[in-house]
Amino acid sequence: MSKQYLTLHTVDQAHPTEIFSLAPTSTSLISASGSSHLLIHSTTTSSSFPLSQTLSNAHRLGCHHLATSRSGPGNTFASVGFGGETKIWRRSPDTDKWSHYWTLPTPTSKTEKGDVWAVSLSQDEGYLACTTSDGRIHVWDLEGRAKVQTYETGASAGGGNNSGNGGGNGVGTGSFAMAVDLSRDGKFTASGHENGGVYVFNNDAGRMVFSLSGLAKPIRTLSFSPGCRRLAAAGNAGIIAIYDMQHGEHVANLVPTGSRPAWITSIDWNDTGEYLLSGSLDGKVRVWDVAKGVCVATHSETESAIWSVKWLPKSEKTLAPGMGKGEMFVAAGANRSLTFYREATGS
Amino acid sequence: MYFCPIRNRFLHPASQPTTSIAREQPPPPVRQLSSATVVRRREPRNIVTIPQNQSANEALKRIEALLETIVDAISVGGPIVIPYRRSTNAQTLNQDASVENSRDGRYMDSVRFPGRNPQELRRFEALFRIIEISHEALLSGTLITKRNIYYQNMELFKSQSVVDEMVDNLAFTLGLGRSDLNIVATAKGLIAGQMKLIMRGGTIINCTGSSDSGVLLPSINAVEKVNFQSVKWLLVIEKDATFRTLSASRYYDVSRAGKGILVTGKGYPDLATRKFLAAIHAARPRLPMWALVDFDPHGISILRTYQYGSQRLNHEENTKLPRLRWLGIRSADVILQTISTPDRSANNQQSQPSQDLSSQESIALSVNVSQDERPAKRPRTRRMRSHQSDCTAPLTEADREKAISLLQDICTTARPDNMAKEHKLELQKMLMLNVKAEIQAVDDFGDITNWLDERVLSQSRHQIPPD
Repeated sequence: MSKQYLTLHTVDQAHPTEIFSLAPTSTSLISASGSSHLLIHSTTTSSSFPLSQTLSNAHRLGCHHLATSRSGPGNTFASVGFGGETKIWRRSPDTDKWSHYWTLPTPTSKTEKGDVWAVSLSQDEGYLACTTSDGRIHVWDLEGRAKVQTYETGASAGGGNNSGNGGGNGVGTGSFAMAVDLSRDGKFTASGHENGGVYVFNNDAGRMVFSLSGLAKPIRTLSFSPGCRRLAAAGNAGIIAIYDMQHGEHVANLVPTGSRPAWITSIDWNDTGEYLLSGSLDGKVRVWDVAKGVCVATHSETESAIWSVKWLPKSEKTLAPGMGKGEMFVAAGANRSLTFYREATGS
Repeated sequence: MYFCPIRNRFLHPASQPTTSIAREQPPPPVRQLSSATVVRRREPRNIVTIPQNQSANEALKRIEALLETIVDAISVGGPIVIPYRRSTNAQTLNQDASVENSRDGRYMDSVRFPGRNPQELRRFEALFRIIEISHEALLSGTLITKRNIYYQNMELFKSQSVVDEMVDNLAFTLGLGRSDLNIVATAKGLIAGQMKLIMRGGTIINCTGSSDSGVLLPSINAVEKVNFQSVKWLLVIEKDATFRTLSASRYYDVSRAGKGILVTGKGYPDLATRKFLAAIHAARPRLPMWALVDFDPHGISILRTYQYGSQRLNHEENTKLPRLRWLGIRSADVILQTISTPDRSANNQQSQPSQDLSSQESIALSVNVSQDERPAKRPRTRRMRSHQSDCTAPLTEADREKAISLLQDICTTARPDNMAKEHKLELQKMLMLNVKAEIQAVDDFGDITNWLDERVLSQSRHQIPPD
């Protein structure tokens, strides 16, 4: 049993250098690369996915993470540069143009790390979770422009880092938090760490509820299922671990065929919660049937690293002719191009 | 002379017609040096004369002018002023700062006698001593090491770093290079390979060497001629250990890419190593030069020091190697590793829970979907597993900070060239992967020669000269 996806369109050499992150809204796709510009491509107006806006000189050292809200209003996104700076961008609904809204303040004290790595935007676009190299997760209120929550994952965090595989971290500091995700219902924050740890925090109670082990190797990407009952995590182990969010149990692994799975850089859950998309350093893009636990489609258009894969959210707008009715996803990475896929209808 | 007489006969045959053809041939790159052209008639073309240090006379003139003003000042009885500027402050120093700090004698542009404070008195004495030593060395045509200067008066100089700093600042103030003052650092770099150095004194250094560990690099000022013999490449290696391994296995002889030269600066290269390489490059512009450094922020920083020079010694001339190409190792080598050689602990980790779970959970787990997939070939990569994990490591916080500061340096450059763009991308990928790897990551149980052969050959095939 397999599903078929076809290459719908490739925006060749969209960026002058490797594309590190993608983030979709219901009408557009934002992409970030090692260059200083952010690009916004329209995903509804034409099957050629035309460029609709360039945000010049957004991040001088290049940009490595972006965050949008999949099913939110689509008026906000966040971008993080290699210099550690985080910028919030807002869209004017009238002109449909994006502009800089706010830059997160960086702490001046030496003890508190201000560098942001991964980010996740809440569904209502009101909150942003940011991870740091010392394993903290800060949650910012974007309207109030204030930090509302800090989660610790270091030795000081209760019941936290006891899996015994902390890679030589000092007392009091956590392992580098490489991935973060906020659940769509706003209930949970999950973080994935360099030491293989996955932590889940309850946002209402403001404390850690699960410390999940199982992969033992650096976690590079995390994704809550749309119903918020499952959490998927992946990274250097090359497999995807699925955790249940009711009891914090490790319920399944998705394992690619072949004996040596490459590092997984990006995973994304589709809107129905049936399928997971994954991208890895060997250039493979895979679609997984989560219930059956099998890979239903493998794409290897490129042999160079894939850094980001994303489903495009279902749009309320009617799509331009030729774009089909099926689900679409996009992949990008070292080949600098944006490759759009659509489900082959009738299968 | 015994330099390759056979080869020489091939290049300059005795018969009349071939000689005329030989004359019509485009001049070899060697000829770019005027001095080399002069000697070329009598010597085979693989011997290149290193141009005499032109500024030696200039240095002597400037030092003597300086001494004259001092003598004049003494005869008049006025204060003695030696101009003295710091190379590090040259760019950032503004007028206010110099006035503000001049009281403590740290940021001024001269050293006076009588001094304004006891520190200045000591500085005057030390500086005067260095000028005197340099003058003597220039007159006698000898070279003196910084270490030697320090030992001449340890009481006065207090520490080696005082001498190092003063020498560089004196050179900077006089608008000269350190070696123009006939002052050199104790040799740090090593060389091994099919090359002979003919020193000004007449001695010959054979770089094939007496021992496995190569030969200490001499100061380029002391080298009169270089016999390149039949070398095809030059490899600059970051690490002493790798250099020794390759030197011991005589890689410079047995490489599939032909005979070559190995050089190491032992980490961040000193001025002597960089000047030596720059002179070699000027003598043989077409000799491919490669650099082998670790995939970590310091590796790239060391590479950049070879290519662009260092910030502190920016006033030194002929220290940059803009055509030094980056052989490795890069993110691609690391990514390849991540695909071909995960370590065993991960395999155990993933197989056990999946078996336990598949029996009790309703969710069927994917055991390999396509059973027909044959086990992938695993030739020597499999053996590398055992030590692969030792060679790649996650970046530390200090590494990440260093990488970001390097990125900042590159991005503040007005117009980064292709080399800088490559450094930028590799640093970004290093941060994305959060992994560093030592040179050993690509070797095969300590034997890096196969990897080197492949890399040098493939890079030589498509030679894309950097801008």
